[in-house]
Amino acid sequence: MAEQTTTQTSTGSLRERSSRASGRKRKKRRNQIPLGILLFVIIVGVGIWLTLSNPAGNTALFWIIGIAFGFILQRSRFCFTASMRDPALTGSTSVTKAVLIAFAITSIAFTAIKFGAYSNGLAIPGQSYVAPVSVATGVGAFMFGIGMVIAGGCASGTLMRVGEGFWMQLISLFFFVVGSLLGAASFGWWERTFIVGAPRIFLPELFGGTDGVGNDGLAWIGGLVANLLIIAIIYVIAHKWGNRKSKNELEH
Amino acid sequence: MAKEVELDCMGEACPVPLIKTEKKLEELDAGDMLIVQVDHSCAMKNVPEWARKQGHNVEIEEVDDGEWEIFIEKV
Amino acid sequence: MKAMFDKLKQNVLYKKWFKDALPYITGAVLLSVFQVVTFVTSGNPWGVSGVFANWGAWLYELVGGSVDNMYYFSSPGAQATLDAGILAHAGTWRNFGIIIGALFASLMASGFKFKKIKSVKQVVAAVIGGLLMGYGARIAFGCNIGALFSGISSLSVSGWLYAVFIFIGAIVGSKLLKKFFM
Repeated sequence: MAEQTTTQTSTGSLRERSSRASGRKRKKRRNQIPLGILLFVIIVGVGIWLTLSNPAGNTALFWIIGIAFGFILQRSRFCFTASMRDPALTGSTSVTKAVLIAFAITSIAFTAIKFGAYSNGLAIPGQSYVAPVSVATGVGAFMFGIGMVIAGGCASGTLMRVGEGFWMQLISLFFFVVGSLLGAASFGWWERTFIVGAPRIFLPELFGGTDGVGNDGLAWIGGLVANLLIIAIIYVIAHKWGNRKSKNELEH
Repeated sequence: MAKEVELDCMGEACPVPLIKTEKKLEELDAGDMLIVQVDHSCAMKNVPEWARKQGHNVEIEEVDDGEWEIFIEKV
Repeated sequence: MKAMFDKLKQNVLYKKWFKDALPYITGAVLLSVFQVVTFVTSGNPWGVSGVFANWGAWLYELVGGSVDNMYYFSSPGAQATLDAGILAHAGTWRNFGIIIGALFASLMASGFKFKKIKSVKQVVAAVIGGLLMGYGARIAFGCNIGALFSGISSLSVSGWLYAVFIFIGAIVGSKLLKKFFM
């Protein structure tokens, strides 16, 4: 895959033919690995402290999971902002396709887990994330889309970049918090005006319901397949878009 | 005579390095070399990826902690 | 000692695990793995922006304000969370973890660098962008993670609604970025 060679740094023929070949000003490079290892010790230490100080809670678990997410996001330069912005701005859809793959894999896993709980007569986990379908969601998502491109990072991207040392994202994070408070303050109005009465639609319900009646297995499969189908269709479109050579139409 | 042009994109937020690179490359002729300086981890991935997709020769060199130079030879 | 760490930089496994950037697809798979870990261990998918609302509430209380009149914080669960404080808040630790995890990754790759503000434009962009994201995420029930990634993965139609509008927003944002912030 072309991607694999993208980030291998090298002192190859291009550099040799450039002004850099004479080995111009070389900053003395520090090796930061010792700092990284020290940080790792601190991370483990914090994990232990959280476990001991809050044995009944989830804080240690969430800390470790957060570390994992941060590590993965930074290592892969994963950027949801880029997945939405690049198709229009640069014509690239490689991140878009990766995001879609993440949706697909996670959908399958979540559905299996949810179905497992359901078929065992247990409450289905995570259903609070099946949010109301209302004008508020559309408006909010639109605002978020604008904000993340302007700020140079989405929610996860902002946190990642704070960890990478970007001062700009520190500012972005602060105002994200302020904006959240403002949003929370006005949430009551949105609730009364648009959200109340709006349906929370769980895809399997569109295919026959999850109320213990006969064809439930099919309803769940139907819901999952529908989700994957939408993802697949968007993936194909993204793939074709990304292969376009001529980009003149895009920027003017 | 092949030109060598430097493009300093240090401190720029995503996706500014890539947009500036695209614009600058348009101004150059085939055979010219553009050296893009970035310190953004996204840019050290998406600039080479874009340039390679356009068919140019690309190399990256890490010149310091968190700083890269991207060599693009216009084809 | 220094020589040992310098030699480590040449090691094949070091390069693979800590140095060279991972392909986007690898990132996608790994993020999915940890989404599932989150779901199975906590009963809920991953979310990021909800935490920021609580941070806002605690900050506000710090300067003498109170969120007790807000509908958003009116449920018993929300009040209990606020009362327990930031250090007991699991979501807060997950978000801290993301920051430190990214820092850890940068240091291990020997690629950490402070990137200072370059222009007033960047500050304005960060302020406006942050406010829009914060406000938008609250009324839309989440951000790119909680409402989009987790929403779609939870087979919720709201996730797809979010996807359509965040995409349109991103296009508008790109135009604004090119026009005013470049």
